[in-house]
Amino acid sequence: MTGRLLVGIDAGSSATKCVLLWRETAAGAATARVAGHAVVPSGFDYAEAARSALGQALGAAGAGVEDIASCVATGYGRGSVELPGSVSLRRLTEITCHARGARAWYPDVRHVIDIGGQDTKVIRLSSDGRMADYRMNAKCAAGTGTFLESIAVRLALPLSEVDRLAMSSTSRLTLNSYCTVFTSTEVLERIKAGDAREDIAMGMFRAIASRVVEMLSTGGTGGAVAATGGVVTHCRAMIAALEEALECPVRLPPMPQHAGAYGAALLAGERSDPALPAWDEGRAGAAPSAAACDGCSCQPSTQSRHSRALDGGRPC
Amino acid sequence: MSSAAVKRIEINAQSRLRLLMREYFLDLDAAGRDVDRRVAWCTSVGPCEILAAFGFAVYFPENHGALLGARRLSHELIPRAASLGYCAESCSYMNSDIGCDLAGSSPLREMYGVSGPPRPDLLVYSTNQCRDVQDWFSHFGRRHDAMVAGLRPPRHLGEITREHVADVRAQLEQLIERIEIRFERKLDRAVLRETVERSSRLSALWGRVLDTALHRPSPHTFWDMCIHMAPVILMRGTSAAIEYYEALRSEMEQRVDEGTAAVPDERWRIYWEGMPVWPRLRELSEKFFDLRAAVVASTYCNSWVFEPYAGGDPLDWMARTSLAIFINRDEAWKERFLESTLRRFGVDGLIFHNARTCPNNTNSRYGMPERLRRRLDLPVLVLDGDLSDLRFFSTAQSMTNIEAFIEQLEERR
Repeated sequence: MTGRLLVGIDAGSSATKCVLLWRETAAGAATARVAGHAVVPSGFDYAEAARSALGQALGAAGAGVEDIASCVATGYGRGSVELPGSVSLRRLTEITCHARGARAWYPDVRHVIDIGGQDTKVIRLSSDGRMADYRMNAKCAAGTGTFLESIAVRLALPLSEVDRLAMSSTSRLTLNSYCTVFTSTEVLERIKAGDAREDIAMGMFRAIASRVVEMLSTGGTGGAVAATGGVVTHCRAMIAALEEALECPVRLPPMPQHAGAYGAALLAGERSDPALPAWDEGRAGAAPSAAACDGCSCQPSTQSRHSRALDGGRPC
Repeated sequence: MSSAAVKRIEINAQSRLRLLMREYFLDLDAAGRDVDRRVAWCTSVGPCEILAAFGFAVYFPENHGALLGARRLSHELIPRAASLGYCAESCSYMNSDIGCDLAGSSPLREMYGVSGPPRPDLLVYSTNQCRDVQDWFSHFGRRHDAMVAGLRPPRHLGEITREHVADVRAQLEQLIERIEIRFERKLDRAVLRETVERSSRLSALWGRVLDTALHRPSPHTFWDMCIHMAPVILMRGTSAAIEYYEALRSEMEQRVDEGTAAVPDERWRIYWEGMPVWPRLRELSEKFFDLRAAVVASTYCNSWVFEPYAGGDPLDWMARTSLAIFINRDEAWKERFLESTLRRFGVDGLIFHNARTCPNNTNSRYGMPERLRRRLDLPVLVLDGDLSDLRFFSTAQSMTNIEAFIEQLEERR
């Protein structure tokens, strides 16, 4: 196999993400730089979504399947991801991949909080960067992106508007309900009672943050905390709610929704072939500024800016 | 490595087990229709030796509950029980069994050609395992207008004292007296002693079978033993069960001698704490097989390994045994037992099954996983699910959890 592309595909419940890394050698050291990336809705067909995301990313990179050295697939749909038989393909859970991606950006991170479409994970890393422990939410939509989307639909508001409202909240309102359905009802009751919409909106994000706190292992969040996943990508209020609940800063990587795919691509290089040269992780994982990406939806026109951000350059 | 590429080696005793189970259920069915024979229902760690010594054919409804779960029927049956007012989050064995009775159709018909569970003349439960059996058996006592008798041993014990044993022994004597009066027959104490001797011998054999997993690689896994444990629950005190476990023990020891592994290239040794997930037994078995992880020990299977009977008063032994089972102990005792067992089996990781409808067999609710994780520096996973009700178990999420758990173990090695 002579290809130089490392591929990470994160086939999530809501969105499928793909990140491509070019393997390069400079001054005797192997490095990786982002060549392309894409995100598409997963829909009902993970295999098709993976093909679509990979195709878009390859197009952005000006590369083809023949350039792929190895791939790691992750996410709930990882079992459906297929590549031409000659390509090395491994499947790893999103827990491992998100941890790896976050660690590449923030080598000192000790807790990674991934809030996805249908589950939320809290991953604890040891001081040497290995996965020490993790928790996932129980079989329930509470505390996930689905929770927010469901309530946004009931309120007839786009999620971006819910986020904007929440960021203008000035009152500390908490919701009592645990269940997505009951929370929707409680939200309507609060509106009838005259509570400010922005406070109710922020209350929803606090509800998710409280679920995260439940999942932290004893000892709380010693060390740096980073958040990944689609929810924090599109909702600044989620970061604010997490920082309020955890009483510490929460770092937002560049393109947090791609953290799983990014970590998967890095792992594709680290575990696929012992003959591959070791990576200069300092180059691939230089910590960028923690300022949030503006959420420009990763349109092809913005890919070059985001690629620099993934590599550790200045954020958008 | 996929289960398609590497085949598991079947246990030869499996065919013998099928015959044994068939004989058991056919005899139960015959007893239920024979006016000269009596059927007693008993809880799984209840005083079945007394019932057998009286000559009852003994049936264990929990086995039927497990069967309904394994056949993935619970989600259809539990709502029927709920229609009578049984909470859907109460014991899913109980709810499934009551629902099945209401539906009038049991998988026993397809499996063994019998109409279903035998009609009871007597139901005897012990709350040493949980409270739900009291309500379960009371339901069927009303349903069949049959005598119901309950034992209520002291619960959640650390040390077992003479007072505890005396309490339960007295309850056993009262039970015997009630049965003698109701069914107009005297208990033959010599027969009871012989039954207890066989029961103890059976339990010891079962323990030896389980202990073959101390060997690396293990000749069997938890998924195998969930199937092969049926006789030690259903046929305590019988010679047929003793013969069966002699054969199984011999086969496992032969595997040990030959180095035959239940999981080829065994890389991880896991302990399963809590109930099986019966409707997903095969999928979980295959997942661990593919991950080269052997579940080498469990609380559930070990629950029928009793202290040996060394002669003396059989009721004393029965009383002590019913108090000493894991489920009836306090948290501190359970933790010490688990710690000792984890070390003994050389376990790499510990999985707790948080069974929604079985709090008594779930030990992850009061901080034990975290305490063990920190004290032993051992990776611990808590899986949410249930013993029978798939509505509480997310297959996709659980499989991801298990895979991530193994990935965590890999990073530690």
